[in-house]
Amino acid sequence: MRRIGEHPVLGPLPDSEMVRIVVDGEPMLARKGEMIAAALLAAGKQYFRKTIKTQEPRGIYCGIGRCTDCVMTVNGIPNVRTCVTPVEEGMEIETQMGYGHWKQER
Amino acid sequence: MMDVDDKKDFFICRCEEVTLREIEEVIDEGYHSIDDVKRITRAGMGLCQGRSCSKVIARIISQKTGMPLEEVLQTSYRFPVRTEKMRVLEEEGDSDAQNR
Repeated sequence: MRRIGEHPVLGPLPDSEMVRIVVDGEPMLARKGEMIAAALLAAGKQYFRKTIKTQEPRGIYCGIGRCTDCVMTVNGIPNVRTCVTPVEEGMEIETQMGYGHWKQER
Repeated sequence: MMDVDDKKDFFICRCEEVTLREIEEVIDEGYHSIDDVKRITRAGMGLCQGRSCSKVIARIISQKTGMPLEEVLQTSYRFPVRTEKMRVLEEEGDSDAQNR
């Protein structure tokens, strides 16, 4: 896990309740209430989606929900900004190819 | 250090994957407003709707044409400021963080 355990200003990382999420079919633990992108980065995953034109990998860029570079398919809904969407128990997160596909009814 | 040729391949619009080279080409063709560049190259028409690139494009136009930055014609900004599902307008108190 790659997290800041001892922050110079914020102090030590407090214990947190964990939730289970599924990333590309693999079960994973995330801190309750953290953003999807934070959970993935902590698990070492930096590749969130592939672009449609040049097929390049993309991950976090602005981190504040503006640039839409970190979008993934979450619970079957494509283009979810993972940097501003908190994890939830049982959430299914998938690496998105291009514009993604809807997997459930809107 | 990267050479100049590499810099031209930088993506200015990350959503629609439009490079500096493509944007400079249309400016050279005489399109000197953000809207013109947008309509020809699709820069600013992607998921984020120009939130990352429209200011950069304004600067490129200003640098290439010598036009003062304030005089470069901006695109029209429309609501919503953040991407939202229409459903949140119906459901009062639902936050955008839930994204449904």
